Amino acid sequence: MIGRIRSQAFETGKFLTDWMEHRTGIVTMMEHFLYEPVPKRGAWLYTLGSATLFCISLQFLTGILLLFYYVPTTDHAWNSIYYIMNEAYFGTLIRGIHYWSANFLLVVIGLHMAQVFFSGGYKAPRELNWVVGVALLLLVVVLAFTGYLLRWDQDGFWASVVGMKIGSYSPFVGGPTIRFLMGGDVIGPSTLSRFFALHVWLLPAALAPLIGAHLYLLRKHGVFGSEFEYSDRLAKLHERERLESYEQYEEDEGEPFTGRRDREDRE
Amino acid sequence: MAELQKDPMTRGDFLGFGVLGAVVGAILTIPPAAFVLGPLIDTDVRGQSDVPSGPDDWFEVAPISEVPAGTEPKVFTVEFPVEQVYGKPEIQEESGTSSKEFTVPSAIWLSWEHEINADGTYGQNLRPSFLDGKSEGLSESEIEEIQSTLNVLSSSCAHLGCPVRWLIREGEGEFLCPCHGGIYNINGEYVAGPPPRDMYSYDFEVREDGIVYAKHQFDTGGDNGPQEPYVI
Repeated sequence: MIGRIRSQAFETGKFLTDWMEHRTGIVTMMEHFLYEPVPKRGAWLYTLGSATLFCISLQFLTGILLLFYYVPTTDHAWNSIYYIMNEAYFGTLIRGIHYWSANFLLVVIGLHMAQVFFSGGYKAPRELNWVVGVALLLLVVVLAFTGYLLRWDQDGFWASVVGMKIGSYSPFVGGPTIRFLMGGDVIGPSTLSRFFALHVWLLPAALAPLIGAHLYLLRKHGVFGSEFEYSDRLAKLHERERLESYEQYEEDEGEPFTGRRDREDRE
Repeated sequence: MAELQKDPMTRGDFLGFGVLGAVVGAILTIPPAAFVLGPLIDTDVRGQSDVPSGPDDWFEVAPISEVPAGTEPKVFTVEFPVEQVYGKPEIQEESGTSSKEFTVPSAIWLSWEHEINADGTYGQNLRPSFLDGKSEGLSESEIEEIQSTLNVLSSSCAHLGCPVRWLIREGEGEFLCPCHGGIYNINGEYVAGPPPRDMYSYDFEVREDGIVYAKHQFDTGGDNGPQEPYVI
């Protein structure tokens, strides 16, 4: 009985997957997106990019949830966050995840960048992926900066004042840029509106397609260049190891290699 | 190049596409750009400010009698209104929906000017002596003397805008910025640290009734340095 249900469920699942595969190619696509050959040594380091993506996904999800309660006005911004933190069900958890994953995101993104730099992952033909990555890093930094003010508490307020004043030292563009951010010549209600618009719409909307481009370029060239280049290099490495082991055998046994070692290898 | 094209482009076509592209591009970009850059156009091109700063827009700081007579400043808070409202003020007033105005609470340090000795210590206190006996009903010459010896300083550090505080060390007081250690003397003059200039002083006036009024305007430009108080 149970066996029959199991086999029927398996058949149905297989039918649905095949149906989707024929119409959308989704299974091939998933395989292409999920699997990547990486060397055994230091394999965990190659998860840093995924960790970054995970943190950004958390930002999107918890950010959408926070928008159900957050009110971007000078009268209500702080109070609405107070409500989220003290009254709303699991508000502390949702905002806590948004806050802490934002912090972790900046750490992980830095580690990811360092890993790519030290492993030479920016070299041809992957230069553009490095460029897109730098754009993503800058967007995330601006997102962190604009999110800070939305709390509208003393900490966020003065941090934004200092941050904008740092920007104001840039020659020529500094002044106009921060007056654009402030929505005038002093920090006030329009500053909050503008930071809100940037934080929840403009920057995420710019971030999402760039993440898509980043992943597309990653899958196009791979972490180690093209897949062929990688398997080619791997094949050469195996061939070299094989020849070395033959030579070793000849040295140890004092007789020419007859193929016995080859059979052992296959086993 | 031209022979490679299946459909060769004439000069007229090129001009036509160019002009059409420019017109369509302008129609698509100018309205949204002007929309988001509105405040920049108002402040930079039309010279407007979000804080009322017309000839009549003076805001009360404190009576002159409350300024400490000794070598010590005192801080007062002035709430300058910010007119970044969305809507017509008359309508809001009539409906009573949003009577709450947003203000910029600004901390203003008041003190008397001191002579500074060559070694940086404070010399003579220049506080007018007639203030010992009276604090209102001032004559025009008295007002002038007060205005030339009163320090009306913004608490916003000239470096990155953190609020400075008064710190007494080894008997001598000085303004210290908590963020990066900018130091100014009691007159707001630069002493040490990263600030590029002296503290910002407000445009102010003293009236007959002995009260100090200030405007949300600062001593920028000219010898005081090119940097404006962008965020205050």
